[in-house]
Amino acid sequence: MVYLQKALARNPRVDFLVELVQMVSGLLLVVFLWTHMLFVAAIWLGVGAFNALAHFMDQYRLLPATVVFLVLVFCAHIGAVIRRVPRQWQEQKIVWRHAKLIRHADTWSWLFQAVTGAAILALAIVHMAVVSYAGINAGLSSMRVHDGFLAFYAALLLLSEYHASVGLYRVFVKWGWVRRSSLKRVLGAISVLTVAIGAITLGIFYSLGAQA
Amino acid sequence: MARELTFRIFRFNPDQPDVKPRLQDYRLTEEPGMTLFVVLNKLREEQDPSLRFDFVCRAAICGSCGMLVNGRPTLACKTLTKDLPAVTTLMPLPVFKLLGDLSVDTGVWFREMSLRTEAWIHTDQVFDPNAEEERMDNAVALQIYEAERCIECGCCIGGCATANIKPEFIGAAGVNRVARFMLDPRDKRSDAEYFEVVGTEEGVFGCVGLMACDDNCPVGIPLRDQLAYVRRKMAAAGWKLRRRAPAARA
Ligand code: SF4
Ligand code: SF4
Ligand code: FES
Repeated sequence: MVYLQKALARNPRVDFLVELVQMVSGLLLVVFLWTHMLFVAAIWLGVGAFNALAHFMDQYRLLPATVVFLVLVFCAHIGAVIRRVPRQWQEQKIVWRHAKLIRHADTWSWLFQAVTGAAILALAIVHMAVVSYAGINAGLSSMRVHDGFLAFYAALLLLSEYHASVGLYRVFVKWGWVRRSSLKRVLGAISVLTVAIGAITLGIFYSLGAQA
Repeated sequence: MARELTFRIFRFNPDQPDVKPRLQDYRLTEEPGMTLFVVLNKLREEQDPSLRFDFVCRAAICGSCGMLVNGRPTLACKTLTKDLPAVTTLMPLPVFKLLGDLSVDTGVWFREMSLRTEAWIHTDQVFDPNAEEERMDNAVALQIYEAERCIECGCCIGGCATANIKPEFIGAAGVNRVARFMLDPRDKRSDAEYFEVVGTEEGVFGCVGLMACDDNCPVGIPLRDQLAYVRRKMAAAGWKLRRRAPAARA
């Protein structure tokens, strides 16, 4: 059905473009997430390696560049997905009721995407603010992790890994590039792996903090 | 020993809106080879003549008996009680107009969808009744047939969260219908023309990939593949449209 407002505002490609933005920004965020994981895991090689990497990032102004990149991509992603989050209260109620009614796992994971997404946004803003304000070095990080921020980082790690893996699953499912069951397995394995890497990294920081 | 089965059935009559919707329990003894078709008819004959539900073919062909069986959208006539627990909840399919109890009107929805997707062959070829029928490649014919197997039961629509909040969304059945015409060489519509019909939020880009449709189609149409096929085709068309768009609007 076409209504007057819709006919006037009509650009047939909007929906397609928004879809594209959502996917591309999502993929970029996943790439960033995993790169970030590997960079922080430099602590596995010792405090020296970590600080050298941090110094390198600082020297070439990579830190502010990353923050700008993230803000842009975050905004693009949020702008694109917000139309998907069932907005109005009425719709919210329908979707929750629907998920309960049909007891379908993938439908639940959709609701969780919205919830985890919002939580990640909040946590990531705090994280980015802290890091850009204080700068990066092993001493600061371990102190933070040891003195109360452990739960914060653990939550951010789990939430973002979950959100990323469900998001990737959806992209692949929607465009039909791989079989669903094998996809679930591969993504599950990757998530476990990345969460493990992150957990070990956090553990190292925590023990460093305890020593200091 | 035969089991005693309990059926918790949704009761509501839109003609009596002040009587609140409720779940009513019915009991009966299981029989060998019993389907929900047998159950519901027995209940209506022996216990409650006011119970409303639909069956026509009772052989998974007509698509009129779609309902939520313990939450899962499926055909009642092909559901065997031996696959069900002792207590089973039956609800009508969401999205469609509720006629009463388990009976919904899928016809109006599907007719509307057919009109919007213009589900007929678009061609300027004039039909010649005396000419020999044009031949079709067997592989193509089989692909088309795969999509044509849709019995319009509405299970993919009732199960879809998007269809539940967006009445305009054509759903997996709609996208599958469009795929059928895209495959058909007799349909002369260009990809840009198809884009008009399905390249939107109400069409394939409204789908968020929850795959409730793919998990629930009772005749096993590979809806995920159909959705992905149309999505890729429409993405390509949308991409190309970019270069023509400004000229077209000037
Ligand atoms: S995959 Fe798309 S059409 Fe199918 S249930 Fe999900 S949102 Fe609906
Ligand atoms: S696609 Fe499958 S589930 Fe959907 S209406 Fe057709 S037969 Fe039913
Ligand atoms: S009665 Fe025809 S499909 Fe169930």
